[in-house]
Amino acid sequence: MSAGKVGTWEIGEIKLPLSEAFRISLENIRKRFVRAAITTASIVLGIAFMVSILLMAQIQQIARGAPETIRAYQYWLLFISLLVSGVGITNSMLIAVAERYKEIGTMKCLGALDRHILIFFLLESLIIGGVGGIAGYIVGLIAGIVYGYTQFRPSDVIGALTSPLGTLSMLGAPTVIALLLLSVVLAMILTMAASLYPAYYAAKLNPAEALRYEV
Amino acid sequence: MRYEYTVETEDLAKYYYMGKYVIKALDGVNIKIRRGEYVSIMGPSGSGKTTLFNMIGGLDRPTRGKVYIDEVDISKLDAYELAWLRCRKIGYIFQTFNLIPVLTALENVMLPMIFAGVPREERIKRATELLERVGLGDRLHHKPPELSGGQQQRVAIARALANDPAIVLADEPTGNLDLHTGLEIINLLRTLNKEKGVTIVTATHDLKMIDVSDRIIYLRDGKVQRIETRAEVAVEYEE
Repeated sequence: MSAGKVGTWEIGEIKLPLSEAFRISLENIRKRFVRAAITTASIVLGIAFMVSILLMAQIQQIARGAPETIRAYQYWLLFISLLVSGVGITNSMLIAVAERYKEIGTMKCLGALDRHILIFFLLESLIIGGVGGIAGYIVGLIAGIVYGYTQFRPSDVIGALTSPLGTLSMLGAPTVIALLLLSVVLAMILTMAASLYPAYYAAKLNPAEALRYEV
Repeated sequence: MRYEYTVETEDLAKYYYMGKYVIKALDGVNIKIRRGEYVSIMGPSGSGKTTLFNMIGGLDRPTRGKVYIDEVDISKLDAYELAWLRCRKIGYIFQTFNLIPVLTALENVMLPMIFAGVPREERIKRATELLERVGLGDRLHHKPPELSGGQQQRVAIARALANDPAIVLADEPTGNLDLHTGLEIINLLRTLNKEKGVTIVTATHDLKMIDVSDRIIYLRDGKVQRIETRAEVAVEYEE
């Protein structure tokens, strides 16, 4: 921040209200919907996989009436799947930056600071993460319920897994809500982390070079 | 306070190093542009027009020499001050229009005012006035893909004037337009130059620009070849 006097100029503040930044990021996602959807799909798959694995462990426990632990290799699978989706998001955000070189250069000509460019891209990734987290949670939940229904119905010891609602009520509200929170928070952290490098790269672009770039 | 020269360069040079080759895009350019002048920088492609444009616009740093805007040496400015300079003192117009494709005409014109901290009501009012001034009063809510090239360039002109800059820098503003539309844009720039007293510097090789320019700076191989006033050019035509 260096508002003050330079020569005869009174250097004023440069602003970007969060509401305006959010609106522009949202417009960017809407306009480039296909690529945003592919990025979202990447996070949806990762989160859905996680939710279904955690859920299946719970369902097995309910069905067998005995505690079921998640095995170490399943945690590995989880970790790897989230890593893969993170790499996918990074790749997709790098392409998003590359196709917008000129726009970034133009924004800087209009007065945008480096951190404003960073904010645009990170907000975009947060929105994608939030939506992807919720969608992934729903997909994972459905997968878990279908698993419980098909695997355990014949031998269901307590008859709780015969309907989706029955399964949900057996799992209990705390588990269901905790899973939702975990999904959304993890998805947002993951997309943010994956977008950090591309967004930083975009923010640091020299405006003259960014403008020269022809897509 | 008024300054005699809005733009002044002193032994301005920009070298690009490509392996063992040195490309001297600009090599010792001294120019002075008066407040309210309409100056065209002419020269074949590769003569350094765009590099000069980038230096004056605070978009890139010179290898050597200085650029003064309103008598302030812009090489001494830090990143924040440079952003402020680009936001408040300079308006940019590009060959490829460079509107933000996801925003409407009105939002594009309002964008520099957001960075300048202009309140929302005022932004809408000023952006609407500017768009009406460039003849797009009925296209406020259209997005760039729904506008013709000439209309997009008009939006870009309105956007360049959004924060009442001291200088408008136009890099080949007619390069992507047909003859007729190009002429309209040139005349619009000239009218706004007279009306608002804003200094206009265009980098161009469009000969139509000569008719409206106060002075023409010929650039060749990164050096100023000669500077002519309009009167001199007119004489040349007659001969």
